[in-house]
Amino acid sequence: MTWVADVTAARDAGAVFFDFLTAVDLEADGFEVVCRLWDPQARTEHLLRTRCTRTHARVPTLTGVFAGAAWHERAVADLFGIGFDGHDTVPLLLPASFEGHPLRKDFVLAAREARQWPGAKDPGESDADLAVPRRRRAKPLGTRDWSP
Amino acid sequence: MTGYPVPASSRGIIALDENACTSCMLCARECPDWCIEIDSHKETVLEEGARPRVVHVLDRFAIDFGLCMWCGICIEACPFDALFWAPSYDHAATEPAGMVHERFDLRQWLSEVPPGTP
Repeated sequence: MTWVADVTAARDAGAVFFDFLTAVDLEADGFEVVCRLWDPQARTEHLLRTRCTRTHARVPTLTGVFAGAAWHERAVADLFGIGFDGHDTVPLLLPASFEGHPLRKDFVLAAREARQWPGAKDPGESDADLAVPRRRRAKPLGTRDWSP
Repeated sequence: MTGYPVPASSRGIIALDENACTSCMLCARECPDWCIEIDSHKETVLEEGARPRVVHVLDRFAIDFGLCMWCGICIEACPFDALFWAPSYDHAATEPAGMVHERFDLRQWLSEVPPGTP
């Protein structure tokens, strides 16, 4: 429970302004939950981080330290699928029928799969040239590789 | 440009200098929104006293400002200084297709680019 204890300690030491809480998808290394606090007297920022695994994506809630963390935790629960122990995270951003967590790296962006990437063309090529098979074509970042 | 006056260095719209563009595709590949479409073809230039060389000739350069998020990465990425920020901002359209601006539109905004812009 050092996550809650560390944030509490930072708050009691003067970092009383809760700026935001978000997460980072580290893929095989799980998720990192990041919280930024601001000390208005010392004018210093505090970035606190904690980790959880993909299989057990849960961290303790900070709502007992900063009530304002509730919305941030609800957004992180929506977008990353991370649970917060001690906080019943009602969906904040996504409709109830939405499936998946769009900020996870393994979430497939349907629009990117359906559309032809404009950068696939080489200099001196137009759309018609894309029909010609080529061993190596530039591939866009952040999309799934469908090749076998 | 009409309406409210804005500083000349405003990020209003992206202008294209067609003569500087080499159709290298770098902007289209760097664009996170996939909003730049470029078509080009190859032509062989024959000059007396020189070997024939192949140049890329631009056929189409379009930016879909309905997708663009004004990040300016294309302008940063361009190695030939063909893309610039122009201050013109009033580009609302009544349908999504109206947000796509072709090379002739993009070229016209070049006249608004403040001098000395890198």
